[in-house]
Amino acid sequence: MGWLQFKAIVRKDLTRELRTRDMLVSMILFVLLAMVVFHYAFSVKEGVDLTYFTGGMLWAVFIFAMLLGLNRSFAQEKDERCLDGLLLCPVDRVVIFLAKTAGNLIFLLIIQAVAVPVFTLFFVSRSYVADLPLFLLVLLLADLGICALGTLLATISMNTRSRDLLLPILFLPLIVPVLIAVTAATTTIFATGTSLGSLATRLLFLLGFDLIFMVAAYGTYDFAIGE
Amino acid sequence: MKKVLSAPALFVGSGIFLVLGLLLAFWYSPVDASTMGYSQKILYFHAPIATAALLAFGVAFVAAVLFLRSQDPKWDRLGVVSVRVGLLFSVLVMATGMIWGKAAWGVWWAWEPRLTTFLLVCFLYAAYFVLRSVVEEEQRRATYAAVFAIIAFIDVPITYLSTRLLPEGLHPVVLGPGGGGMPGNMLVSFMISMFGMMLLLAALIRRDLGIEDLKERVADLKNSIGG
Amino acid sequence: MTIAEGAKYVAAAYAVILVVLAAYYLVSARRVSTLRRDVELLEEEVRRRAPKPGTD
Repeated sequence: MGWLQFKAIVRKDLTRELRTRDMLVSMILFVLLAMVVFHYAFSVKEGVDLTYFTGGMLWAVFIFAMLLGLNRSFAQEKDERCLDGLLLCPVDRVVIFLAKTAGNLIFLLIIQAVAVPVFTLFFVSRSYVADLPLFLLVLLLADLGICALGTLLATISMNTRSRDLLLPILFLPLIVPVLIAVTAATTTIFATGTSLGSLATRLLFLLGFDLIFMVAAYGTYDFAIGE
Repeated sequence: MKKVLSAPALFVGSGIFLVLGLLLAFWYSPVDASTMGYSQKILYFHAPIATAALLAFGVAFVAAVLFLRSQDPKWDRLGVVSVRVGLLFSVLVMATGMIWGKAAWGVWWAWEPRLTTFLLVCFLYAAYFVLRSVVEEEQRRATYAAVFAIIAFIDVPITYLSTRLLPEGLHPVVLGPGGGGMPGNMLVSFMISMFGMMLLLAALIRRDLGIEDLKERVADLKNSIGG
Repeated sequence: MTIAEGAKYVAAAYAVILVVLAAYYLVSARRVSTLRRDVELLEEEVRRRAPKPGTD
């Protein structure tokens, strides 16, 4: 029963996004533009090598894009009162959380599917095809943490007065551990290539982060989403 | 209305221990043998304040859980007060940490585990107050604040862990009080200061709770008058 | 670093602690006295408005 509800909510969110496509397109454009901004932000010298900045740039872009995306999607829900309708059904609140997180995750993955190749084109000089599975693993683990935490906090912040500005303030300090782990891992993959063994600590750390906050969200989402 | 009756006693008690600790630190404990030398004396208050701050946030965590369970506003009041005192102490940790950093390493700032963690802690709990300020309805405000206090506290050890376990490769300095353990005559002063700081924490929380109670009383009286 | 120089930093650190804590205490002390006065005034007001026997 929970699984069916889960699928239904995810499908509803995705169809709505994909039907209008405006948010998807906007976020992709934002991500690409942000990369251009970063290029100008860091090119202080002719031919400067940005290889060791690549991980940081990539994830900074994704995190800021995610903040915008979360705000938009929740704001729409609230304005159209979809959430109220959803709450009237006998759905376990946690299912709503998981469904929203999954929806956001899929959304983020779609954006990354476009953004990563372009980023590689702009900034990465080494071919990391050999490390692609590893890269995708890192991506997925970090995405999960970002989406879970982001969904939980967006649920809270959308009900407040200054919702657009509040989410980053709540989210950014909390996501720093993920940032620390993922930028180092990503930079290593881009710069020199690496193996599963040497990334093991970071991967386990990301996994731990994801699990801990999924559990925390499980315990608190009832309260976050309100009566 | 017992109000702030026991607070003066706590303040006096904490004052005694802190002064005692201070005297011991300066006249009894030896000067640190490592390169830090005399500036190590800052540690006798810096570390206890840090521990007290974390303890305050732990209290806030427990208060948050109890509030969500019982919906009793008194837990919310305890939460606000502990976070406020915790934030106050965290700012002091940063200030003393930076002064110590300047004395011991010659730089005002370094991205090392403890300073970085407390910087993020300050951001995190400042966000707590921002969150509170943008929610108008009392019950909801307390609920959201409780959820955030829980998430934030879980994140603190994770953040500390991430700054320690995942070296970013560029740390110019490694912080640590001279060597592993502390010789006996340093430990004594340290422990006494630690105890004094705990008492100070209790005293400030107790006092601030009394102030919150007074505020409640004023609000109640205004309500009964119909103002 | 000589002891003298080190001592300056140490003194600065403890001074900061003292000043900040004292400031916090004093600011809240002022709020306490305002609140206490408010409570008294309001209680006075409540007593005044209590229905007197004979009216109503």
